[in-house]
Amino acid sequence: MKKMLSNKLVIFAFLLPALILFIGILIAPILMSGYYSLHDWDGFTQKTFILFRNYKELFTSNSIGFMKALGNSLLLAAISVAFQLPLALWFALRLGSGIKGERAFLSIYFLPVLISTVVIGQLWLKIYNPDYGLLNQFLRAVGLENWTRIWLGDKKTALLACFIPTVWQYVGYHMLLMYAGVKSVPTELREAAMLDGATTGQVDWHIVIPYIKPVLRVSVIFSVTGSLKSFDLIYVLTNGGPFHSTEVPSTLMISMLFLRNRYGMGSTIAVLLIVLCFAFALLIGLFFKEED
Amino acid sequence: MNELEKRILKDKIKTAFVYVVLIFWAIIDLFPVYWMFTFSLKNNEEIFGSNVIGLPKHWLWENYAQAMKTGNMLVYFKNSVIVAVATILIVLIAALMATYAITRLVWKSRKTMNKFFMLGLTIPIHASIVPIYVTLSRLKMLNSYWALIIPYAAFSLAMGILVCTGFMSEIPRELDESACIDGCGPWGIFFRIIVPLMKPAVSSVGIYTFLQCWNELMFANVFISNSAFKTLPVGIQALSGQYTTNWGPIGAALVLATFPTLIMYIFLSKRIKDSFIAGAVKG
Amino acid sequence: MKKALALLMALCMIVALCACGQAAAPAPTAAPAAAEKPAEAPAAAAPAAAEKTVLNLWCIATESDANHESYVKAIDAFNAAHDDVEIKWEAFENESYKTKVKAAAQAGELPDIFFSWSGAFLGDFANAGAALCLDDYYTPYADQLPEVMLANATYDGHHYAAPLNFNVVTLFANMDLLAQVGYDHIPATYEELTDCCDKLVAAGITPFGCSGKETWCVTEYLEPVIIKTIGAEELGNVFYLKSSWNNPDIATAVSTFQEMVNGGYFDPNGLALGNDEVKANFIAGKYAFYQNGSWNCGEIAGMDANVQVGEFPVMNADNATLGMLIGGPNDCLAVNAASPNAAKAAEAVWEIARDVCHWGTLAGAGLPSWTPDYDTSSINALSNAVAEMVATSNGMVLFGDNAQSANIANIYLDYVSQVYGCAIDGEGFIAGLTADIG
Repeated sequence: MKKMLSNKLVIFAFLLPALILFIGILIAPILMSGYYSLHDWDGFTQKTFILFRNYKELFTSNSIGFMKALGNSLLLAAISVAFQLPLALWFALRLGSGIKGERAFLSIYFLPVLISTVVIGQLWLKIYNPDYGLLNQFLRAVGLENWTRIWLGDKKTALLACFIPTVWQYVGYHMLLMYAGVKSVPTELREAAMLDGATTGQVDWHIVIPYIKPVLRVSVIFSVTGSLKSFDLIYVLTNGGPFHSTEVPSTLMISMLFLRNRYGMGSTIAVLLIVLCFAFALLIGLFFKEED
Repeated sequence: MNELEKRILKDKIKTAFVYVVLIFWAIIDLFPVYWMFTFSLKNNEEIFGSNVIGLPKHWLWENYAQAMKTGNMLVYFKNSVIVAVATILIVLIAALMATYAITRLVWKSRKTMNKFFMLGLTIPIHASIVPIYVTLSRLKMLNSYWALIIPYAAFSLAMGILVCTGFMSEIPRELDESACIDGCGPWGIFFRIIVPLMKPAVSSVGIYTFLQCWNELMFANVFISNSAFKTLPVGIQALSGQYTTNWGPIGAALVLATFPTLIMYIFLSKRIKDSFIAGAVKG
Repeated sequence: MKKALALLMALCMIVALCACGQAAAPAPTAAPAAAEKPAEAPAAAAPAAAEKTVLNLWCIATESDANHESYVKAIDAFNAAHDDVEIKWEAFENESYKTKVKAAAQAGELPDIFFSWSGAFLGDFANAGAALCLDDYYTPYADQLPEVMLANATYDGHHYAAPLNFNVVTLFANMDLLAQVGYDHIPATYEELTDCCDKLVAAGITPFGCSGKETWCVTEYLEPVIIKTIGAEELGNVFYLKSSWNNPDIATAVSTFQEMVNGGYFDPNGLALGNDEVKANFIAGKYAFYQNGSWNCGEIAGMDANVQVGEFPVMNADNATLGMLIGGPNDCLAVNAASPNAAKAAEAVWEIARDVCHWGTLAGAGLPSWTPDYDTSSINALSNAVAEMVATSNGMVLFGDNAQSANIANIYLDYVSQVYGCAIDGEGFIAGLTADIG
């Protein structure tokens, strides 16, 4: 049987469809981007080969502000891991422990993931509107007049104001992943612990969480790489403004590629983004392995 | 009050607290749906200030008529469905086959190959738009459904393989062995044993892939230049003008684009949930 | 092994199917796949004289755009009048169109005729040889289209596009609100303007609204102040890099604008609002003034309040006069130089542009760059008032973000947004731009 299952031709045939798609649409374009990133190119005229000068400029130029953008997306990643995932985990644990209305809650919590970013973006624009926005209206109603802000127009608050919807939208997604993990914990394990007099909290902490570690790893990877790649909501809410305070690598990349006609530089950001995402995914994988 | 009563009371308070938080969060998550629906029935004046969250003062059902009329929403809807279904099918076929090779067939660098596919999870979809455009143009695939199906499938593939790996490693190897004894080759094992047992993975992969491609705008806008193949997000965009935009019909179009998804989700939610449970742990 | 082969063959078929996806994909609404790329099917196109040349056209007149009907009428008329040529057109949303047309140029997929913005946007296409030089094709239309209207699409003395309707920055004033503070006319001098604004503020009325989220809206305020300080010629020189930004008069103009912002003349919430929201506020009677493009005339003319249009007052009479305006022919149609039917497209583009301009003018989508030979009395009053203003204009400079090349325009917009947010002052503005641009 082993011989039969190690036939090279068969292996290759099984991999072929995935490989064609993968290499043709994902890998080849990355290599092309890598090639463009070594050039000064406006997308129209002749390319000039400049080796790593784009990379150098990206890291040193203040006017591009790549480091700031990168910092912003890392902050988003940190916020996601620190708030989004624990919240999702808490929901997953509570719903997983068989609470009344479990299915209804589960379905409702997943709704924001299904709704298009345009809708979510427009909704939050209305929430943050300085004039008639829900947030400021609420603050005025409870007498916190001087807490009102121009949330998305103020350099100090815009970044956080952009991150909150981003983090909120995907709580349901991670919750569903973790809930699935929680549900797959064998009931005998749970019951045995309960018989020993453990509280729900102790069962969660000592039995359930260690058991669903593989799920948590996937969640952390998705959450971090998703943060690094985040684009849609920030594009709708502030498009990087005010004064680049909410710029993330993806918004910079789009503006370089299509607004500022610096195709080479845009490709440089693309390459760096991919490298970063992959590096983080590997690091997180290693971290979880060491834990074991 | 004795020890037991105290404990029961404490539990009750705890449960009450849990419910308060759960219900509060549910309201926050339901609000966008309510808001989107009421927004679709208002005019610009109400949307921009005079009545942001209330029920519409005048129920402007004609917003829907306008959304349907302008932009040929039905054609766009049909296109979106075709693209989504074809993408899901291709992802399923490619992911199942690749996963079989990675988890069941015996070869040296299969772990490396798995890592290689996982690279796909990390690639931002916006990064490679021009290179893909050039490739599609060389293959003469622009302005057809394939111009969207192929890139969407490629970008969903990594997730598909990830989910399928979780399910497939759960299937006991004894099944393969007994099939082998009955005279099945690798293809026989794949089609007769593995594929039928992978049914629960279908809805998981389906929903992930669907989420990837249903709302995607960037590729859809650039790769399609023929109204016959435009998808919903592009159609919705077309409702805004260069200088003035009437937001009511946009809201209506968004409802038309979103509600089928929601209904389908509610309809399938049990199966999706079950398939998540079956596949999550090893994922 | 047999099965493996069978599967491989099936795969090859899938790949082959993908490769001829264009032909294989169903085309529900009368879109013959072969028509997409007429050049790819020479056998079909060459011999028969009855065979039509299909020209593809991209524009941004989506179905909800004010100009949509103009394109429908113009192109229907063109197709009816020509037996040998057929125009097929597609409209895309404004913002995403910019991405689309640039990506198409990079991939060599531009249509035969494409909508463009004059100034630097088209300049990139012209300099790269992607847009066709239209000098020879313009001559037959010279008596209907004054050559001055081509100025913004002219590079090194050559014309590269046919202009459509155009717009200028216009000061809209809600006369009902002005009447509350005793003004029955739009303030004609800067002193009068500040006096009027002070009275408005005292009466609890916000004088101006301006979107800070969309920086082009800030330029609609800032550029008129600058042009009324340094004059049209000098501003043009600065935009086209013939003069330096290092000009103390520009610093003065910017500081004046900032004084107005700091003086509470602008709605502070504007910083976080989009233009649609700001305009909705003006239409709802929340602001006394709104300065933006003349394309708003149609929508604002529909307001309940009594509205008049005017221009920003002169700041420095040594350099500037009334009638110096920001704007001018910008929207245009260009021809893809690499198109196999470039010559036919270059002939067609003028006729289409003329008719789109004709119907666009009547629909209130902007001012006519082609001399009207039709009755214009049905157009809304505000548009006509702007047309009179333009008729007596003595110098128009294109919007700064259109005039300057993409990279420079974005640096410029960056500084403009910092001015509105009061992160830098006039001195900082010229110092920064001098350092980054020259």
